[in-house]
Amino acid sequence: MTVSERDNVKPGAVGDPAGALRTRPGLTVRARRVEGAPVVAVRIWIPSGARAETAPGHAMLTGRMLAEGTRSRDFRRIAEEAENLGMSLSSFGGFEVYGVTADALSRDWERALEWAAELTLESTFPADRAAFVARQIEADLESMGDQPDIRTAWGFLDQLYAPHPRARPVQGTVESLRAAEPADALAHHRRGLASGVLVGIAGAIDEDEVRKRAEELFASLPESATPGAEPPAPSGTGERHREVETSAEDQAHLYMGHLTVSRGHADYEALELVAVVLGSGAGLTGRIPARIREREGLAYTAYAQTIAGSGFDPGRLVAYVGTSPDTVAQAERGVAEEIARLVDGGVTQDELEEARAYLLGRDPFQRETARQWAELLTEASLYGLAVDDPAWRLERLRAVDRPAAEAAARRHLRPADLLVTVGLPE
Amino acid sequence: MRTKTRGRSGAVDVPRLPGTLALHRLDNGLTVGLLANRQAPVVTSALCYHAGTRDEEARHGGAAHFLEHMMFKGSAAYGPGEIDRRTQALGGANNAFTSHDATVYYFNFAADRWSEALAIEADRMAHLSLDPAETGSERQVILEEIAMYDSDPWDALEMATMARLFPDHAYGRPVLGTKESLLATGDADLRRFHSHFYRPDNATLIVAGDLGDDALDRVTDALGKLEAGAAPHPVLAPATFPAALERLDRDKGEVPRLLLALPAPAASDPEHAIARLLADLLAGGRASQLHRRLVDEMELCAWISADVSDNLDRGHFAITAELIPGVEPERAEAALFAELAARVATAPSEAELARARQIAIADWVFGHEKVHQQAVSAALSVALFTPDHHERQLAAMVEATPGDLLAAAERWLHPERGAVLGWSYAR
Repeated sequence: MTVSERDNVKPGAVGDPAGALRTRPGLTVRARRVEGAPVVAVRIWIPSGARAETAPGHAMLTGRMLAEGTRSRDFRRIAEEAENLGMSLSSFGGFEVYGVTADALSRDWERALEWAAELTLESTFPADRAAFVARQIEADLESMGDQPDIRTAWGFLDQLYAPHPRARPVQGTVESLRAAEPADALAHHRRGLASGVLVGIAGAIDEDEVRKRAEELFASLPESATPGAEPPAPSGTGERHREVETSAEDQAHLYMGHLTVSRGHADYEALELVAVVLGSGAGLTGRIPARIREREGLAYTAYAQTIAGSGFDPGRLVAYVGTSPDTVAQAERGVAEEIARLVDGGVTQDELEEARAYLLGRDPFQRETARQWAELLTEASLYGLAVDDPAWRLERLRAVDRPAAEAAARRHLRPADLLVTVGLPE
Repeated sequence: MRTKTRGRSGAVDVPRLPGTLALHRLDNGLTVGLLANRQAPVVTSALCYHAGTRDEEARHGGAAHFLEHMMFKGSAAYGPGEIDRRTQALGGANNAFTSHDATVYYFNFAADRWSEALAIEADRMAHLSLDPAETGSERQVILEEIAMYDSDPWDALEMATMARLFPDHAYGRPVLGTKESLLATGDADLRRFHSHFYRPDNATLIVAGDLGDDALDRVTDALGKLEAGAAPHPVLAPATFPAALERLDRDKGEVPRLLLALPAPAASDPEHAIARLLADLLAGGRASQLHRRLVDEMELCAWISADVSDNLDRGHFAITAELIPGVEPERAEAALFAELAARVATAPSEAELARARQIAIADWVFGHEKVHQQAVSAALSVALFTPDHHERQLAAMVEATPGDLLAAAERWLHPERGAVLGWSYAR
């Protein structure tokens, strides 16, 4: 399999976007005032998620353990004191990052920031809690596996990404979770903190005051940033067609696609526009849902994306159709033909302009709330891209003309290389 | 905006929607609410028809939802697919949903182009096409949607449980209908439902966001001339519930899933706010009673939640949980029932009540940050209840005492008096 060009963004290669207060290596703090916001949102991201873990599930376990006890409070007290204020204080593990999330009423911004910092810096990873949290994650894993579309998606990701960590569920495996020890989480967290901490805060706040307080709270962080080890490159399993057994009653789940580009690739925005033309836009406008659902009536859900999961590692072209087992072949043929038609025939000017209008028109809806802003700020720090700046996004999308969109489609969409996973009832 | 209400534990802020909801009624009976605020340069229009599954004939179950799909499949000025294409070209988003009590259509647009939504709504309210070929194609799409829900372990368990909790009421029927009822529902049935209920005097339009000063004029121009004439709603017999605890077992899934459904007050009932607070007391947050006991202390469940529905006629509590691998379902069930018995016997402490109250208020604030959320919430409140429905509920929560919660628990948390316990796991 051919893998598209590697990204031009690397973990740890965080730029210095406007508005960031980069107090020193290893800590980036970004804050934004959102006038009138009733909520303050705090995001602490540690760029050492599952892609940097040494065994499956360790990043998830580490993230979830951050809320299980600190040097000064056990998990009960953490929960009670947060909930007494109506605060949502939790920790998480993800593929690229793990960390802490705090959403609070505006009046409680300082407490939210302090407690998020406490969970990040003072967690003790108690052994009894680690055992239970691992079992909770195992339950999540089994629960997701009961859902036919997710079980099929797991098969598809493995087909595309093996031996890269994206090939497996971020929760890990039953075996790895049962073997995990508190020391594994502690070690992962030490490496994570050494790779740097990204802080994003948004709400009706005084930006300077908040940045200064964050700098004080995270003063104990190491005075350096050491990016974690890079995962193995995704090469895939080599299978062209895979079938997965699911617990569906009478429905098949069809995933088709291949790897494309990472988040920082020069063609990212062109592919984003092409995705809208194919089937990631408003309602049922894209070519694939228009054919599969509107014209042929084969599915309730049909969509396509060209940059799904794109980050430090390559994203993917993915077309999904939930259809009857009897019509999988028809759906598969339809999807393949539409992708080929786009690559061979290009896009119309009207399609491109509609796609651009859709993405630009959607933009204000992604900047409405403090929580959305906090996510954008932290994402900007993670990738070193000004994704939080509407003007930056406007410029990037406007720069894509029709030849550029078509060239990107020809470069990165390969109808002859489509991989297929079908989930079928047992 | 907030107002202070003095509860037993001191002054507590009761949140309200940002801006002031200005209500108008047009000559044709359309209720219009304008919620002007400039938190972002966006506008959402939410048109709520006071018609849902409850208004269908049982033999045409799913007709309300079927019609919702067909509202995107062509009207006089917008051919099949044109509404989505126009929405996308304007950089907007749209969607709709059907519940047992109502059907809501919404558009999200930038503030300088939102009135296109009014033109679309007016055209499909007055001139829906219902082309037979489109109806046939969309029926197949909905059959696939049913297959999707049937395959999802939680959706399938919920539908089966509701059918048992509401055996003689529309709330027990699936919103999507069944294969049989959809095959028995054709163009004429959909047209009749549309003609009866998709009328301005059976609808509420909320426009929220950065509206501009001429919003009411725009609404009146677009929708003020549509013809009134909504049919009366069918009169439903009161819901009857099981007289004892009924069990339902589905042999599906690796993870044991539990759903205990109990009767609860209607959302218009003054006690509904207390029931909602009771749900937060039980499982709203990690320090809540059921979560603390069944998840963190006994380590039986991976998670547990409790909710009370916002139904017009009668509501229901839903307590749901997924078990930790290896835990015997019987053990988790016994622990849950023991906890419910304890809640009926003992009033919550002031601290527990204060925490549940804060969670309820914060959840409401978190759930109404976006203009879209504000518009849809206001549309349902005005159409089904009262314009200040949520404020009254929140105020009642602030005023609630431990004795109120104990009384509500005594009234509603007795599974043995009538409830459905659904389990789903591979045996």
